[in-house]
Amino acid sequence: MFRFDRRLLIHFDWGLLIMLLLICGMALFNLYSASYPPQPWGTPPYLKQLYFFLMGFAAIVFLLGFDYQELHFWNYFFYGVVVLLLLTILFIGKSAGGAQRWISLGFFNLQPSELAKLMLVITLASYYSRKDVTDGYTIRQLVVPIVLTAVPFLLILLQPDLGTALMLGFIFASMTIFVKLRLSVYLILGGSAVGCAFLAWEHLLLPYQKQRVQTFLNPEADPMGHGYQIMQSKIAVGSGGQFGRGYLEGTQGHLHFLPERHTDFAFAVWSEEWGFAGSMFFLGVYFLMLVWGLYSSMFARDRFGVLLSFGIVMLIFWQAVINLLMILGLLPVVGIPLPLVSYGGSSLLTTMLGIGILLNVRMRRFQSPRGQID
Amino acid sequence: MNDKFFEQVEEISERDDRALIMLKRRALFAPFVVLAFFFPIAARFWYLQINKGDQYRQKADSNRVRITSLPPPRGHILDHYGREIVTNRPSFNVVMIREDSFEIDDVLKRLAVVLKEDIEVLWERIRDASGTPRHVPIVLKEDIPWDTLAYLENNKYKFSGIRIEVRPVRTYHYGNLAANAIGYIGSINRQQLEQDQEGFYEGGDLIGKRGLELLREKDLRGEKGERSAEVDARGFEQQQLKNMEPLPGNDVHLTIDAELQKAAEEYMAIGEKAGAVVVMEVDTGRLLAAASTPTIHLEDFIGGISKKNWDALLNNSRHPLINKVVQAAYPPGSTYKIVTALGGLVEGVIDENTMIYCPGQYRFGNRTYRCWKRGGHGAVEIRRALAESCDVYFYQVGQRLGVDKLAEYARKLGLGSETGVDMEYEKAGLIPTKDWKRQRHNEQWHDGETLSVAIGQGFNLTTPLQVCLMTAAVANGGRIYRPRLVESVTTPDGRVVDRFSPELMSELSEREKHFLPIIRDGLFEVVQGKRGTARQVRIEGMTVAGKTGTAQVVRLAVYKGMKEEDIPYEYRDHAWFTCYAPADKPEIAVTVLVEHGLHGGSGAGPVARVMLKKYFEHRLQQMEDSVADASGRNG
Repeated sequence: MFRFDRRLLIHFDWGLLIMLLLICGMALFNLYSASYPPQPWGTPPYLKQLYFFLMGFAAIVFLLGFDYQELHFWNYFFYGVVVLLLLTILFIGKSAGGAQRWISLGFFNLQPSELAKLMLVITLASYYSRKDVTDGYTIRQLVVPIVLTAVPFLLILLQPDLGTALMLGFIFASMTIFVKLRLSVYLILGGSAVGCAFLAWEHLLLPYQKQRVQTFLNPEADPMGHGYQIMQSKIAVGSGGQFGRGYLEGTQGHLHFLPERHTDFAFAVWSEEWGFAGSMFFLGVYFLMLVWGLYSSMFARDRFGVLLSFGIVMLIFWQAVINLLMILGLLPVVGIPLPLVSYGGSSLLTTMLGIGILLNVRMRRFQSPRGQID
Repeated sequence: MNDKFFEQVEEISERDDRALIMLKRRALFAPFVVLAFFFPIAARFWYLQINKGDQYRQKADSNRVRITSLPPPRGHILDHYGREIVTNRPSFNVVMIREDSFEIDDVLKRLAVVLKEDIEVLWERIRDASGTPRHVPIVLKEDIPWDTLAYLENNKYKFSGIRIEVRPVRTYHYGNLAANAIGYIGSINRQQLEQDQEGFYEGGDLIGKRGLELLREKDLRGEKGERSAEVDARGFEQQQLKNMEPLPGNDVHLTIDAELQKAAEEYMAIGEKAGAVVVMEVDTGRLLAAASTPTIHLEDFIGGISKKNWDALLNNSRHPLINKVVQAAYPPGSTYKIVTALGGLVEGVIDENTMIYCPGQYRFGNRTYRCWKRGGHGAVEIRRALAESCDVYFYQVGQRLGVDKLAEYARKLGLGSETGVDMEYEKAGLIPTKDWKRQRHNEQWHDGETLSVAIGQGFNLTTPLQVCLMTAAVANGGRIYRPRLVESVTTPDGRVVDRFSPELMSELSEREKHFLPIIRDGLFEVVQGKRGTARQVRIEGMTVAGKTGTAQVVRLAVYKGMKEEDIPYEYRDHAWFTCYAPADKPEIAVTVLVEHGLHGGSGAGPVARVMLKKYFEHRLQQMEDSVADASGRNG
């Protein structure tokens, strides 16, 4: 039965919440500009995003009522549901741009691969926290987490959605390294990763995926094709200069030179309109939020809490880093959104649920597993 | 959830205290990993936005701003008195913007019917422009009539992607007046584009192709305007940023008197005479008329001449594409006798009283050279020889001078070299010398050939303009002025940027000038004398001095003795007449060449007479009036 504890309110992480609201506010503000001028039909993206944000916020409030420890119990259930959704999508998914990634729920298109990221964090946190391996994991002990990661990884790769699949790899790698491995395991995993990358390049990557990597290495070779996005994004960011072109004044975005300007390239619009000063302010808050999240993990009351917080921060962190490097022309375009900033219901909901868990872990840092206050 | 589950979890937690501490320690380092990524990212933002910010902003601006050039209206071409000969009028062109057209094939099918054009022709124009961006308009048809324009405007919805564009095109107020001298404009070709060092032109621009339109291109073309518009990534215009209006080209004022030119062309058109008429101010070199007939039809060139019309021009045996004033060279015939006369007098082989007997022929070597007058002229001196164009007289003077001396005087009088007039493709003609023959034909000069040269036949070739130049030099006392067509160039607001001033190319020596009055007397007699060869040119109330000439085309025995009218057109001789007036105080020189016009006096003389009468119209009228007044008073 849900029992309200006043200590929960006292230990509530207001700092994280304020940063979340600040970032989401700026993101919505930016989305308005990125989808400007408004199209005469349908709900504009910033409004849809606002609805998702409100939904996410409600989900956080709801989630805070439950002890994060219960995720140990629900963990495999979630895992099963997400894998089932990923399997379903291969057959009935809504196709867009040659990939099947969405399940239409009528009011919105659910992207199970987004949920899979959060699910993997919970699964791995739960798994690693149950094992007592203070001397470091051996390869054998890693078989289960590898399999647990590989299943959704392959299903997402089949959609095909290389970017999200790679994110699962990043989450697995971050969390696995975090729990400590034996030296031999580092060597074996490192070697296998290089080998897999080579094999994947030769046999697994689809031509368009290879093209993206090649284009990234030499974007000018294909200025009107795949290199276009990278070049236009760099132009958008660079033309922002010191203080930007001003709100709603960015030409790259408004004149449609910048593709996917409200999804993966939303931050390029921000950079164009607010310049270096605005970008640094935004990223300052963003990275502070991430550091703050890690700070939460340091104060978690148990290993599950630590791992969960760490995994969620890494989930946001890697997406943010890859998206930013992509916008800055330092990585190929792989289709990874900037969490909380890029337009997309599934991504926003997943990230907000993750932050809900962070808040949950932090507010229960002084609580016993049964809900008793220490 | 049951309590057993939590007990299990608690058990795990307690057991893992050591592991928890280890994880928390590791978590302590995690922020450093995060920051390790933040700073390079921040540095990259610094690089792009601060270091390269200006560069990227420029790129962004050139991304979004589309600059289209606005063609300037070409300058006008006016005559000596400011009458508009060539100006501009709006041409309504049908253009297609492929980007805006949903069903190009359907639209073209419907359009072909409206424009009365073959659909393949329209497709061809689209295909020709396949390399250009899809937002660039492609001209499908130029200069559509009003009713077609009205139909298209009223049925816009049926023709997606079709627009009407207005462009200035040439309009010719005097029809084809001076067409060969003025020339025409057309779309710039690849070669002209490659030669454009300034980068002024772009594909589709109109440029002068021939005549003054070509030679005065820089004056006439004006300055292009610019239209800057903000476009989106697909090239659709979002808003207009600024317009820089084009500056119209400068106006070119000709030396030509449109009415005089018109008279020349109209008179040449009677009987479809092919040839040239040149009227020049003797003391300046101003060309008051420079007609070449038959002429080209300038209207045919608007929007590009059709292949059919072009082929017709090329295949026309009377060569309308050639500006016969400078681009065609003919034997000067007896007009050349002026050269022989001057050479003879200056070199002292004759004097003004030297009598030469003409029995109607002259035996030289083993050949007999005939005078045009079978019965002969009897004993003639230089003045009569000129007046009656005695061949025998000039055979002998030529023989005494030799071909090289003849050539020397021919050149001094402006024959055999380009005049440098502002007309393109001017021919130098040919004044033969012994050296020339050796080099050109690798043959010795035969003295008999000198006789032919002395009367303007043989190898001699001159343009009508050169003959006019020579006539003017005789009239003005020995000065050769460079003939000019352009009086001045003015900006649209009337500021003069270039003005004609007489340019003395060469001048006869004092000794040479000394003999000119004798030649002028001879030329006076040609028209005014009782037995002159151009008596029919005489104009009541004024004196004219001139020289007739007949240029042999072929010397075919089969036509010998035949009635001239019965000889096929292309074998008839060319007729020359060159003159100046008033004979006592020369103002203008007139030279007429009528191809296959037979005799100078009858074939070319009347044209010159028309020119003179037209030029002196007012003075003659005044004189007539005063005579009438006087007789009225007397009566």
